Amino acid sequence: MNLIAGKLSRAGRSAVIPLTTVVLAFIVAGLVMLLTGTNPLTTYGAIFDGTGLNWLFPWVAGHTRVTAAQDLQQTLVSTAPLILTGLSVAFAFRVGLFNIGAQGQYTVGSIIAVWVATSWGGMNPVLHIFVSIVLAALIGGAWAALAGWLKATVGTHEVISTIMLNWVAIWVATYLFQEGGPLQGKQALGNPVSNTIANNMHLPVFWGNPELQGLDVGIFISLLAAVAYWAIMHRSTLGYEVRAVGHNPTAAQGSGISVSRNYILTMAICGVFAGLAASVDVLGWQFQVSSADISTSQVGFLGIAVALLGRNTAIGTVAAALLFGALETGTAAGNLTTTSLNPELAPQLTLIIEGLIVLLVSTDLIAVRILRLPRRLGWGGPEPGADLAEQLQPDDPALDAAEALRPEPGL
Amino acid sequence: MDKPPVLELRGITKKFGPVVANDRVDFDLQPGEVHALLGENGAGKSTLMSVLYGLYSPTSGEILVDGKPVGISSPNDAIDLGIGMVHQHFMFIPVMTITENIVLGNEPVKSGAARPIGVLDRRTARKRVKELSDAYGLAIDPDARIEDVSVGMQQRVEILRALYRNARILVLDEPTAVLTAQEITELMTVLRRLKQDGTAIIFISHKLGEVLEIADRVTVLRRGKSMGTVPREGATEQSLARMVVGRDVIFRVDKGTAEPREPVLNITGLEVLDDRGLEAVRGATLSVRGGEIVALAGVDGNGQTELVQAITGMRAPADGEIEVGGVDITGRGVRAASAAGVAHIAEDRHRVGLVLPFTLAENLALRRYRRPPLSRRGWLNLNAFRALAERLLGAFDVRGGDAGTPAAALSGGNQQKLCIAREIDSAPKLLVAHQPTRGLDVGAIEFVHSQLIAQRDAGAAVLLVSLESEEVRSLADRILVIYEGRIVAEFPPDADEEDLGIAMTGGTVAAA
Amino acid sequence: MTTTAPELTVTAATVTTKRIGIAAVVLASIAWILTLPPIMARTAVPSIVLGLIAAIVGAGVLRNPKHRRLGGVTIFLGLVAIPLALAMTNQTSANVREVFTWSAVIASGLTFATPLLFGALGGIISERSGVVNIALDGMMLMGCYFGIFGADICNSWVLGALIGMASGGLLALIHAYFSIHLRANQVVSGYAINFLAYGLTGYLFVSHYGDNGSPGTLPQVPNITIPGVDHTAFFGGAIGSTSVLTWVGLLLVPVVWWFLFRTRAGLRLRAIGEQPRAASTVGLKVIATRYAAVVTSGVFAALGGVYLADGFDGSFNFQMTDGRGFIALAAVIFGKWNPFGALAATLLFGLSSALAFRLQTFSQTLATLFQALPYVLTLVAVAGLIGRSRPPAASGIPYVKE
Repeated sequence: MNLIAGKLSRAGRSAVIPLTTVVLAFIVAGLVMLLTGTNPLTTYGAIFDGTGLNWLFPWVAGHTRVTAAQDLQQTLVSTAPLILTGLSVAFAFRVGLFNIGAQGQYTVGSIIAVWVATSWGGMNPVLHIFVSIVLAALIGGAWAALAGWLKATVGTHEVISTIMLNWVAIWVATYLFQEGGPLQGKQALGNPVSNTIANNMHLPVFWGNPELQGLDVGIFISLLAAVAYWAIMHRSTLGYEVRAVGHNPTAAQGSGISVSRNYILTMAICGVFAGLAASVDVLGWQFQVSSADISTSQVGFLGIAVALLGRNTAIGTVAAALLFGALETGTAAGNLTTTSLNPELAPQLTLIIEGLIVLLVSTDLIAVRILRLPRRLGWGGPEPGADLAEQLQPDDPALDAAEALRPEPGL
Repeated sequence: MDKPPVLELRGITKKFGPVVANDRVDFDLQPGEVHALLGENGAGKSTLMSVLYGLYSPTSGEILVDGKPVGISSPNDAIDLGIGMVHQHFMFIPVMTITENIVLGNEPVKSGAARPIGVLDRRTARKRVKELSDAYGLAIDPDARIEDVSVGMQQRVEILRALYRNARILVLDEPTAVLTAQEITELMTVLRRLKQDGTAIIFISHKLGEVLEIADRVTVLRRGKSMGTVPREGATEQSLARMVVGRDVIFRVDKGTAEPREPVLNITGLEVLDDRGLEAVRGATLSVRGGEIVALAGVDGNGQTELVQAITGMRAPADGEIEVGGVDITGRGVRAASAAGVAHIAEDRHRVGLVLPFTLAENLALRRYRRPPLSRRGWLNLNAFRALAERLLGAFDVRGGDAGTPAAALSGGNQQKLCIAREIDSAPKLLVAHQPTRGLDVGAIEFVHSQLIAQRDAGAAVLLVSLESEEVRSLADRILVIYEGRIVAEFPPDADEEDLGIAMTGGTVAAA
Repeated sequence: MTTTAPELTVTAATVTTKRIGIAAVVLASIAWILTLPPIMARTAVPSIVLGLIAAIVGAGVLRNPKHRRLGGVTIFLGLVAIPLALAMTNQTSANVREVFTWSAVIASGLTFATPLLFGALGGIISERSGVVNIALDGMMLMGCYFGIFGADICNSWVLGALIGMASGGLLALIHAYFSIHLRANQVVSGYAINFLAYGLTGYLFVSHYGDNGSPGTLPQVPNITIPGVDHTAFFGGAIGSTSVLTWVGLLLVPVVWWFLFRTRAGLRLRAIGEQPRAASTVGLKVIATRYAAVVTSGVFAALGGVYLADGFDGSFNFQMTDGRGFIALAAVIFGKWNPFGALAATLLFGLSSALAFRLQTFSQTLATLFQALPYVLTLVAVAGLIGRSRPPAASGIPYVKE
């Protein structure tokens, strides 16, 4: 019993700092709104309604409830790929690498997913969906493994190589789907867009109207991936090796663990997650890929923020992805119904909030100081902040994010 | 003593939280005097000097220079008062030249119109370094990079830096710890010369012999408290040792005679490159038999690290052969070496030996997590992890945590026990112990030594790599001397210390 | 001090391999330029032969473990020369001449390189002091917006540039506060600050300019026309009429080098980036120096942004830096934290961008694909030439004062 209670309270502790961070970020962004003459409270209210999370309140009824359900489906649809790209970045952090390349891995995954799903007609649809997902995941893995291989063999810093690979992927995709490009759709008529995936090849929608982008089963693929992430990390020899290399590559090598092999394998797994994210999007609601989709997509970059806020744990990543998915949906032009904020400002505000969240995640000092405030002001009681600072054991996932990122100086 | 002492510390107390590092310490220093500060590791010597140098502010107490109370809140204040520091861990910028390191913080700049910009006057800087070096016979190349010169040379650069800044009070923190016998002699000559010029010197050490050789007075610290100040005249090694430890000390290790069997480790013509691609080991040939402890003695940086890395499979040799128990493991990696029966107590347990954020169980599993019962088909069995930890933590008396505690939470001695438990439990044929007692207290050192001897008596071959000549002489059954990557001499454990020192610095000894 | 005979023989053997490798690189380079103006060979055969020879020699060099990198580069250069030569001889010579009008390539390459150069110089200063700055992109974007905004309200490009630089400095101050005072993870903090800048500039742009977009008539950064040079055939096209800020950037390269390696402040800055503790024991001010360096890096990056918006585009757009700050970061590493190295890196990137742009003449469709060329080249160059470079030892590590 005690053991369980201890575990729960530890999980609670690791959640306190990220939660404080998020609240703080919303307050600071609210100040930005105040300064520019916008009412933050009504704006946040409108954003919240835009996410559809008000569906969870039983008193919301009637037409509002219908809209809320649709919004919530949207939120979860955008959460699904964020979980996966978040896991992609988090896995790399655990081995001590910074995968900025989830965006590129996602992009090559999109190309393959849409290409496979729109060719090879006559295949059994279920098998066809499966093949399309697997190949998208594999190409993502291969694309990322390239960066891992360069790191392991010639020591190229993964931040540089993944950034370059992002741009290469983006330009290749733009080329493929552009007017006259090899993968431009037959009915595209001058638009830079791929063929459209047939109806029987869509991931099934289980909540809401398929015509209105209801919630498809992609979210389950994401949640399964999160479970797989946890199992690999904490219950497999691979995860054990990855964590050993992430904490101390020298000691890992001294125990017979191949650091190079782990770098390559880890990056490949990261890419698989990002490729999966692409297939979930393409087969779940996009059904075609355009050059514009490629250049405006932020899913991979947001994955970094998701992983950081989620402190590289499976459960944390899911929670952070939900937050970011909600933010993106809540501020999307169509969902935001308010007179207090110019709808064009909303996505910019989202960027500010996301930036603030990650900025505050970069150091625990602020959150810890705030949690200590009551004590300092003489309000008595236990000192949660001090507790936290002392109880953050080195194996606490709360410290992993920061630790994992400090493997080598000089970027 | 009609003149006031050049430096006086009165009632210095320094607390770190609940830990009292210095407890009302008094200390004074006369011009032209060498005043030794003697004590064990952790007795508070370095803390006291950090207070003096403005790195820590004291909890209470005062500092007087030339009889006047002064506040020292940063190294700058200390430098302005004429206090120079030669740190135990040298404070250098390794990629910069000796000249740049010496003038840093007090650089000559070109005069004239460009003065406000602060353009370095590199010629003047170089000239002044050269002049000072010549004046004290230090033979320094001003243009060499710090990372390319020997440790002894680096120390001379530290001294020179203090002199460049007109230090009247020179603090040397364990200056001989990293030096060869030869270099120590040279250092003593330099110190005597400085003394003649009126420089006051604080000489920090835990070695009794050299304190008696150089000091005029000796102050002993024990657990943060001053045990009193005595003049050199009348002091003996025994009397000082009693003050340092608080009891009489036994200097020798208890061990029976060795019963060597057939060779376990055979190394022939081994050549190993270091990180920079230079030959660190150049044709070393040696063998260690089961049931004996062979000590590899040498000055730091003569290829020991690379040799150990080659034996344990962490570094592939460029040439030569390594055989353990009849199996050729040359360049076949850590797993092959491990399978052949090599165990390794690493030189730096924080960097190489342990994964500090891992739990004790995870650390103990490091070499065997791939095999049942710890894992099957790639999946871990956490119950087996726990069982392994409980067995080993008990057997080796590791205190301060259970299977789920992170290794970082243990004390240094217990961390070392953890490493030893992991390595010895595999019943190795060859145990490579690289500086196994570095940074440990007396109790932990005794434990490590007894474990090494137990392994020897159980028939394992033990290769001890150590920089401490005391440890080498008391533990080894044979002593091999490594110099510039070659085994240059072999001695019995009772060899003359002088001869050993000469061999370690590349001299030749008449038939040992 | 311990150099003795065996070491020397090893060095001698590898030096020979190195020379052979370099000779092969030269051969491959000749193979590259044979079919280009001004030589314009109309047959690919010599290039193919030379390229193959270079690749074979490269394979030989590859077998020496110490020169694997050199071997790989040689093979790459040699093999790529072959399709390049085939492609060139397949085109009409007029087309080839049009694309490879070197003076125009240089002129356009310089415009591509200028913002990167400012960013890279800023990055070098920051990293040399021990603070990793991946927020260069955001700082550059601040310069873009506030450069336009300042030029608009002050009706002067100089004042606009100053306001832009100040905005970059302010954003850098946030990064400095987080990474120095709050000991944040510098990579994470920098990444966050990019987002902050994307959002902040977008927010301000929308709320200030609304639907009208950037003002149409702005005082733009002028070009400098060099009398006498502007009408000469080659130099006139290349540098005859170039932006003031491009010249400023090029001038800053030796200035920053001289500052870092020849002045007292530069020596101290480098010492602090290598060993802050050692630097502090000789009395250097670690914290203040790092603040100054980070803010300077923001000012530099922002000036690159000013050029991009007010000099090159003449307008502001959401996230218009397009990741240029990250390319600048790559140039810092590629240039081994040396201003001249960074210049070389940004020129490589700028010139290949310019070429990719001009390759539209060959094929409209393939031109898009060629846009990836600068990134591929940078990746090959960083992987092939640099590898495990040696950054300032304390870069990225928060300094904790005792």
